Amino acid sequence: MDSTKPLIKIDEETSDFIAEILEKGAQIFPKEELERILTCIQCGTCYGSCPSGRITAYHVRVIMRKAQLGLKEEVLKDENLWNCTTCYTCQERCPREVETTDTIRLIRNMAFEAGYVKKPHLIVSRNFIETGHSIPLRDEDKEKRKRVGVSEIPPTTLTYPEALKEVQTLVEATGFKEKVLKLLEEG
Amino acid sequence: MEKPRVGVFICECGGNISDVVDVKKVVKTASEWENVLVARHYTYMCSKPGVELIKQSIKKRELNRIVIACCTPKMHRKMFERNVGEEGINPAFLEIVNVREQCSWVHHGDNEGATQKAIDLIRGAVKKVENAVPLHPGKMPVKPAVLVIGGGIAGITAALRVAEAGIKVYLVEKEPTIGGHMAKYAKVFPTLDCAQCILTPKMGDVAENPNIELFTLAEVKAVEGVPGDFKVKIKLKPRGVDVEKCVGCGACNRVCPVETVSDFDEGLGKRKAIYIPFPQAVPSAYVIDFDSCTKCGKCAEKCPRKAINLEDTEKEIEINVGAIIVATGFKLFDLSDYGEYKYGMHPNVITALQMERLMNVAGPTSGAIVRPSDGGEVKKIGYILCAGSRDTNKGKPYCSRVCCLYATKQALMMREFMEGLDIWIHYIDLRAAGRRYEEFYKNAQIEGVKYVRGKVSEIIPDGDQLIVRAEDTMLGRPIENKYDLVVLCPPIVPSPDITKLAEILKIPLDEDGFVLEKHPKLDPVATKREGIFACGVITGPKDIQTSVSEAEGAAAKAINFLIQKEKIIEPNKAYLAVPEKCDACGECIEVCPTEAISIASEKVEINEILCNGCGACIPACPKEALDLKGLSEKQLMAEIEGILTGSESEIKILAFVENEIAYTALDLTGVARLSYPSSIRVIPVPSTSRLKLKHILYAFAKGADGIMFLEAPEHEGPFGKAHAIAEERIENYKFDIEDYDVDSIRLWFSKVYVPDWRKLVKVFETFDRMIKDEGPIEQEVRENILKQLSQETDT
Repeated sequence: MDSTKPLIKIDEETSDFIAEILEKGAQIFPKEELERILTCIQCGTCYGSCPSGRITAYHVRVIMRKAQLGLKEEVLKDENLWNCTTCYTCQERCPREVETTDTIRLIRNMAFEAGYVKKPHLIVSRNFIETGHSIPLRDEDKEKRKRVGVSEIPPTTLTYPEALKEVQTLVEATGFKEKVLKLLEEG
Repeated sequence: MEKPRVGVFICECGGNISDVVDVKKVVKTASEWENVLVARHYTYMCSKPGVELIKQSIKKRELNRIVIACCTPKMHRKMFERNVGEEGINPAFLEIVNVREQCSWVHHGDNEGATQKAIDLIRGAVKKVENAVPLHPGKMPVKPAVLVIGGGIAGITAALRVAEAGIKVYLVEKEPTIGGHMAKYAKVFPTLDCAQCILTPKMGDVAENPNIELFTLAEVKAVEGVPGDFKVKIKLKPRGVDVEKCVGCGACNRVCPVETVSDFDEGLGKRKAIYIPFPQAVPSAYVIDFDSCTKCGKCAEKCPRKAINLEDTEKEIEINVGAIIVATGFKLFDLSDYGEYKYGMHPNVITALQMERLMNVAGPTSGAIVRPSDGGEVKKIGYILCAGSRDTNKGKPYCSRVCCLYATKQALMMREFMEGLDIWIHYIDLRAAGRRYEEFYKNAQIEGVKYVRGKVSEIIPDGDQLIVRAEDTMLGRPIENKYDLVVLCPPIVPSPDITKLAEILKIPLDEDGFVLEKHPKLDPVATKREGIFACGVITGPKDIQTSVSEAEGAAAKAINFLIQKEKIIEPNKAYLAVPEKCDACGECIEVCPTEAISIASEKVEINEILCNGCGACIPACPKEALDLKGLSEKQLMAEIEGILTGSESEIKILAFVENEIAYTALDLTGVARLSYPSSIRVIPVPSTSRLKLKHILYAFAKGADGIMFLEAPEHEGPFGKAHAIAEERIENYKFDIEDYDVDSIRLWFSKVYVPDWRKLVKVFETFDRMIKDEGPIEQEVRENILKQLSQETDT
């Protein structure tokens, strides 16, 4: 928020962001559920419940309010969006049944499309594109797996190369791969 | 008067009393007193055999005075009264001494002290009852008719309900039609019912009901008489049109050449000088606005029914009613002092009531929302809530309660018929505390009405548009929004006529000018004056639903008051005991909390219906001409003497205790079995404002070492102002007793709330310790006081 000027001029600097979010989520979520963001009364249950918000600058209530006001650019550029752990505690507890976490995920998608994403997220995305896993399997992980009595290599793309092929087809078909690599290149 | 033949009966309360108080000793002592013919104790005096024992004693020994020492009189006094009454004993000849809550339950471990105190209290009661005179409640017929002032939804509802009970109703309305503010609304929240559709049938019912006599353009000028029998003068302004003849054809209206501003349309529209406020008006007749009429006579010429009289004059009528219901409603606070809101400075800043007319299909624009400045299209509207409410600076300190909801209602309605209309509601707190109100608000959010938390600081005109500045307190950032129309939601204030009306009705108003309820929680539709009730917004901002509920309540109260046909007048009232002493100085009038005292033929006259028996007037009289029935000067002096003379206690403290609130608190210390010193002896009084300096001095002369006054708080006590007068007087008495060589610390004043009962123990302990430290008053001082008192009496 430091980089943004405090004064909000409605309409001149805002847009119907909620409508865009609803459109974005239309294929995944029923409209009557997603549009509950309109009924947010800023009670703060979400932020009060947020494990990330206690240690980072991620403020879910403020994001909901900015979305209501139509401060799209500010929301998409907010790096703290990426600090949500998607634990869903806020969504579980919201008294107005606002789909907070799902809304944050939709907003992240919109941010990613607009090119606003953090580098660590791009790196894990590249891992996923390359291996089908966002987090690489390290030697100590294999050791742990062995100790608890499961196979050293998990029964995923690491075991089934044909599955990796499917993943890679998907990331290419959706344009995800191209976008991630391009953003990484741009730094 | 026949010689007193007293019977003393002490109850053991199954050990509750007799385990601590030596009842045998009490009986033995009492039986030795002059005039006491019978003294008995029994396990349960309130049981059938106990009551029988008393009744048989009355018969056998021809007793004419009864003293029963038992539990608190709040428990069984009525029952004993009834039973001794069957044996011909007047209630004034029965005294109850509270030896359970005031002796055995609070002095456990001090049996000797408790017994001595019980003996002293009983002796006091015997002396008091010996000096009693029989009292008989009075009766007065009640006039079976009700005056309802105000013809809005509250007044209409109350009038209909009373009329349905078969009671005559006079409904007085200052406007030319009934209907009030509700008639101006298109729809009502949260149901979005059509206001006219639910209101006008009720207005029709008023017109049709044979028990209702309706006076419009009317004003209450004067009210005389007493509750149950009010005489009311009503001024009727000239209407210029005969209501009976007018058929509402409108021929007059069409030819009238005068156009003026429509007050019904909140100044947004125009109307003729002869007009009907709205088509469904009741009475359904035209009216001439004589302030703008030029008396050209065209209307009278055209009227096919010859209903018009341009020379119509003001009339006055008088009616007689038993009860009055006040329902004069509200107006909106004038926002001219709020320069920051530009009301009256920019035409596109309007009030919510103006908005009601603007959006009403029957309104000045037939429901089209247009910019008043240029008739231009309205795309975006801003609502300013708390435009003066919750503002101690320039507005009103309270929440106006309905604005959050009506703003939401207007927004929802407009969005329904104007697609794409953008509506923003600026608020401090969104208060939707009513059945289905929160749901209504949530629905508006879903429908796209936008809410911004933060009070609007300023409105800046920008051509035909208006920039609203506020903070979005959710983000902690300033916000600017540009609107075509700004709607202000000003505070709801009581209808200004109430100031004069309250004076006429002798009912108090609260600090904001609303009618003060008898009790804000437990008697909300009664005023402080008997027989006068209030409902609707005149007792505070509220929605239609609550106004209607209150109207139903006020009607029930009024019916209840009138149904008794004859009103019982309790006999415990003040009266002019020595008329020849009264020189009509009026000191008593000043202090009377119920305005019961007036001057007639150069003497004061106390209206026994208005008098509440607090006794505050009695010490005010410099001539000692007044007295109180039930606790006369003679009785009070005898009781003081009786309690103190012959007592073997070392230290004696007399506590005068207000009989409702403070006395109940005192009982609670007993119920909780708390313990306090047995030096405290209680004399119940209606209010300690009853007490003269003479009583205090007499008590000191007769053996009191300290005197306490436990008084009810002004706002909770039954006698209002009298409780405040008490405190003022006692503070003065503290100075006065010093003249008699009695230290002022020997007087103690405390205000007692019922929940304060635990505190009482501390108060008693502290005062007892203080008096013990001081020691008893010297005999010489006592004798000196007595001498001076008798000298004063001689002169």
